[in-house]
Amino acid sequence: MLQDSPSFDGDVKKLDEGSFDEPGSAILSVRHLEIGFNAKKVIRDINLDMPRGHVVALIGPTGSGKTTFLRSINRLNDKISGFWTKGSISIHGEELLSKDTDLLELRRKVGMLFQRPNPFPMSIKENVLAGVKAHRLAPKSQHDEIVRENLEKVGLWKAVQDRLNDSPFRLSGGQQQLLCLARSLAVQPEVLLLDEPTSALDPISVEAVENLLRKLVPEITFIVVTHSLAQARRISDHTMFFYDGKLMESGKTENIFTDPQMPETQYYISGRMG
Amino acid sequence: MSIVETSADDAKNDAEGRFHPHLLGRRTPIAIISGLATTVPAIAVIAVLLVLLSKALPAIKYNGVHFLTSTAWNPGNFYANPIVTNGVEHPILAKYGVWPLLAGTLESSIIALIFALPLSIGAAFIVAKKLPPRLRSIAGTFLELLAGIPSVIFGLWGALTLGPILSKHIYPFFAHHAPNIIFFRLFRGNTGNGEGLLTSALVLGIMVVPIIASTTRDLISAVPRLTEEGAAALGFTEWEITRKVTFPWISAGVIGATVLGFARALGETMAVAMVSGAVLGTIPHTVYSTYSTIAAAIVTQLDSALTDATGLAVETLAEAALILMAVTLLANVAARYLVKRVSSTSLPIGKGL
Repeated sequence: MLQDSPSFDGDVKKLDEGSFDEPGSAILSVRHLEIGFNAKKVIRDINLDMPRGHVVALIGPTGSGKTTFLRSINRLNDKISGFWTKGSISIHGEELLSKDTDLLELRRKVGMLFQRPNPFPMSIKENVLAGVKAHRLAPKSQHDEIVRENLEKVGLWKAVQDRLNDSPFRLSGGQQQLLCLARSLAVQPEVLLLDEPTSALDPISVEAVENLLRKLVPEITFIVVTHSLAQARRISDHTMFFYDGKLMESGKTENIFTDPQMPETQYYISGRMG
Repeated sequence: MSIVETSADDAKNDAEGRFHPHLLGRRTPIAIISGLATTVPAIAVIAVLLVLLSKALPAIKYNGVHFLTSTAWNPGNFYANPIVTNGVEHPILAKYGVWPLLAGTLESSIIALIFALPLSIGAAFIVAKKLPPRLRSIAGTFLELLAGIPSVIFGLWGALTLGPILSKHIYPFFAHHAPNIIFFRLFRGNTGNGEGLLTSALVLGIMVVPIIASTTRDLISAVPRLTEEGAAALGFTEWEITRKVTFPWISAGVIGATVLGFARALGETMAVAMVSGAVLGTIPHTVYSTYSTIAAAIVTQLDSALTDATGLAVETLAEAALILMAVTLLANVAARYLVKRVSSTSLPIGKGL
């Protein structure tokens, strides 16, 4: 809980736009974004640029709007009644929030990994191929190769190569999450959204997933919502701190954690809030 | 400290090895009730089987295996002196065969399922996925109300409304235009007054819909949101999500619900008795033919069977009931087998979820 909290009505710190390292030119740009459900505003006037090829951690207390923001990038909130957006999110300058956005192609480019593993009710092999088949990315003759390549990428190949046709639900939780990652990687996304991807996993699986993310940059840009500050510190290049629907502070992870500029950030990272 | 008062005895028991007489005392009734709950159904099934079997025994002896293949249904001459064959006293010329009733039971139930299954699954998906939340609960309530309508009302509706309409306006079209080739041939011929196989199967179908649909709707709502969202996030279309994720997830349960519906159709008595035409001893040769089922025949024949002084007619009805029960149990066993096969890769059994 907040104890001696200062007033949060002060100005939002200016973003250090354009200060990203190579290859960190912006892949995702957000301008004057507002998001809400019916009359409730969840995100208030956010402006930010996501650096390409980095791991970006979104941190902040529960209810700060970071997950809502994350799910708006691949338009997963669209179906929730009362959901609305204002402003703009663009990838390579291409608007995502327009009515004409091709959602299926957007979701191929921008994949997602969830809080808990969510394998589909089909064999391990079919799970990896699910997106490939839906988007018709490869002829059948290449399917076996794709399965192997992506399972190797996530380090699961040795464990499952003899049971590719088995149910994924017999795998451990960590293995299931890696399988879901392989499934996402198989459609060759540019950005992967991760919504607390390790919160349901054991420590060893957490480490496996974290190492994997570091290995997969800079080909893929990761945007990770996490409640673990230690994890944000371990895996991310940039950290963005959300508070009460606003982007309070954003910068290199090192700077955010060693030299936070905003009092709210200080409170949060020192464990006195959230 | 604990807020529950504990006696010195309890404290001692705790120390000595967790023997709590008052806990045991509370648990005993639960043990008795749960023990009863598990054994009563088993005892009931066995008892019903035994009673039926003992009642049917003379008929089984007299009718022999031909009972299963014969199409005759002739109670014999109740006014002549009974004679004895195989140690069973029976009216002269009595000859029974269950085959037409068994065929009618299976045919009407299978046709009912052919109508009901797609309708139920479609209705369940629409109610669970497409309707706005407020309409969803209203539609769900009506679905459940449909299940509660007494079958005699369905029968009355089938006999007085649906049958006549179909036989006047719908059946003649099929009867005239169906080609004279295999399968379609069944739709040719005299359409009658609306009582018959197809009409009663349709009525059965409507009665079965709420059973399958409401279960399927519950199954759909129980599919983890995260799994369906995962499919959406991978770029699946709504149809792909339904076909590749939602349906495989619920398929084993849908089979279970279908068997429930099938069993209901097999055993449905009143509605069929009212709409089938209640004709014994013939196998339907077109979909419009009058016929009867085992359940309907038992209820329509019981009165006259009681006038058989030798008891054979009633014993034969018991034998027919035994066969109905066997068919229903067989359907359940088959369903278990199917559910097992379907769930081997699709049901989320295992660690991590």
